[in-house]
Amino acid sequence: MSVNLKLMGAISGAAVLLSAVTAQAEVLFWSTQAKPVEEAQAMREQVLSGAGNVDYQPNDGGPWLTRLKAELQAGSGSIGVLGALHGDYSAMDPDDLVDLDGLGLSASGTFNSLAKLGTGKMQYIPWMQASYIMAANKKALPHLPKGANIDALTYDQLIAWGKNMMEATGEAKFGFPAGPKGLKHRFFQGYLYPSYTNGVVRTFASDDAVTAWEKMRELWAVTNPASTNFSFLQEQLLNGDAWVVFDHTSRVAQAFNDRPDDFIAFPAPAGPTGRGFMPVLAGVAIPRTAPDMDAAKALVQHMLKPETQIATLRATNFFPVVDVELPSDLPPAVQAAGNAVAKMSGSADANPGLLPAGLGAKGGEFSQLYTETFERIVLAGQDIRTVLDEHKIRLQAIMNESGAPCWAPDAPSNGPCPVE
Amino acid sequence: MTIASPEVSADTRKSGRYVYIASVILLCAWVIVPLYFLLINTLSSPEAVNSFPKSFVPDFDLGSLTFFANFAGMLSALKNSILVAGLTMIMSITIGAPAGYALSRFDFPGKGLFRFLILLTRAFPLPLLALPLAVMFIRTGLDDSIFGLALVHTTLAIPFAVLITFSLFSGIPIELEEAAWTLGCNRLTAFQKVILPLVLPGITASAIFAFVISWNEVFAAAVLTIENRTLTAFLLQNLDTSPLHLKFAGGFILVVPALIFIFAVRKYLFAMWGIANR
Repeated sequence: MSVNLKLMGAISGAAVLLSAVTAQAEVLFWSTQAKPVEEAQAMREQVLSGAGNVDYQPNDGGPWLTRLKAELQAGSGSIGVLGALHGDYSAMDPDDLVDLDGLGLSASGTFNSLAKLGTGKMQYIPWMQASYIMAANKKALPHLPKGANIDALTYDQLIAWGKNMMEATGEAKFGFPAGPKGLKHRFFQGYLYPSYTNGVVRTFASDDAVTAWEKMRELWAVTNPASTNFSFLQEQLLNGDAWVVFDHTSRVAQAFNDRPDDFIAFPAPAGPTGRGFMPVLAGVAIPRTAPDMDAAKALVQHMLKPETQIATLRATNFFPVVDVELPSDLPPAVQAAGNAVAKMSGSADANPGLLPAGLGAKGGEFSQLYTETFERIVLAGQDIRTVLDEHKIRLQAIMNESGAPCWAPDAPSNGPCPVE
Repeated sequence: MTIASPEVSADTRKSGRYVYIASVILLCAWVIVPLYFLLINTLSSPEAVNSFPKSFVPDFDLGSLTFFANFAGMLSALKNSILVAGLTMIMSITIGAPAGYALSRFDFPGKGLFRFLILLTRAFPLPLLALPLAVMFIRTGLDDSIFGLALVHTTLAIPFAVLITFSLFSGIPIELEEAAWTLGCNRLTAFQKVILPLVLPGITASAIFAFVISWNEVFAAAVLTIENRTLTAFLLQNLDTSPLHLKFAGGFILVVPALIFIFAVRKYLFAMWGIANR
């Protein structure tokens, strides 16, 4: 048995050596994006087919970061190019990323300055962007409250709409991504808070914030209670558990692509201080341990080419960050989401928020705080003022420790953003 | 207490029989129904998967399975999974069975502590261990190798291998061995001729356990392998964000090889339960 073992060990060792030799020419694209199997397949076959020998490997956040950290600690590795969200990079030490000046820029100055991660040089290159939108089954449209324009809804109208649907069908038909993998915290940070308080951090515990959470409770009353299990609202749109939903553009895409005639996409609602919305920004970067720096840089440049950006849009439903002429034959999900985002950012009361910046390793804790606030106030029904006052102290601690200045829509600050 | 009349006892026997049959059916359904739903949804079109109520007969739409058939790297990932699980099985038994034998037959100082330490290897969550392990593997060149991953999985499987074989050996009276010694066997031949045939089914069972542990492990596999990914590392972490019909098909693909393996070695399993019943 032990002879067998040695033999097998030797064979597998030899196989490893062989595969290591052939792998040399390949650039490993280590990504947290385009993870669903269909998107990964499209990335490999369409987006990266013209980029030479690229091994595209999408991962969960945990293994992605652990592997990356291990390679950085060991001082050598196999990862050539990283693909991740702004938040993933901002949690890293900028010294671990190669400076990428001169490899390309996005069309947005804001994105380019975010990508510097507080240093003077580009630490990642903006790669693709998305946002969160509303989507509805057309069956829900007759229940819209009187006088409401679907492209200019308010939160009150959304709540009234939910009530109407509940009265008509006997079921709560609003769907909210409050599941374990749902992106609920982004709704609070980028939509609810900016729409009601014109801020995210400064106004965290303000009286306006109390109103915002009261509205959230009202909205939750007409929300499908199973929402605490919903993470990808396309599933609930398709199976009819929810008729009106809020989610990430790529998380409702399948509904539009499968049954384009059944659903519509529209902007997020507005509150007293405007129509808050938040972009999602993904970037490509190169770790300092990349085995073949030139090949990695070539791949980064490839990702920024207009034709690659359009192929990426088709594959992942993430929009280009460079100026490109969009073709007319895009998939239904892309058209629907693109229109909704355009209406949202072009609306008169638009109040765009930025991605949390400068939080570094505290980014996860920051989002967790908003999630906990939601759980305590809305799910557990605790007193709003008490919860906000308690969490306010924790929020200020996070801001002080990370030293992050305020970002829009909060008014700028010198030093850490104060919680007022 | 009065003696029950014959009819009553026949009645009791009859209803007892119903209860028995009902529990057998319930237990079978417990295992089979989820697998059956997995199968139906794998063989259904995306529309059928998302619709409700479900039909009990699949419409034999092979779309989801065809997708995975064309998914780059599936076959090599499957091969890697089998290799890693196979190696894990062999290594955990070669290391675990002697340890189990030693624990059950010899008294040595620190025996209790040793048993405790073995269990302790399961006390640390893998995401915690993965970082230092990966750093070490990269430095020693074990990184991204099937053997390296099998080593990690063996560490996870050894506690079970040791404890299962320990109780197996303890279940066999030492007198049998002693009898063999008096009849001209030495320790080794006695073990080979008398003990081994008796415990082989049990050892197979713990080997299956090791196989399944390795087959199901995702985190270490995802961090420690890049080119040589196992099927679970390759598929599982991408499935949770995939559309429902592909989740079912992917789940099916992950389950089937393990089922086939267990089916192939089932008679050894039942043989072990035979021993346990004696």
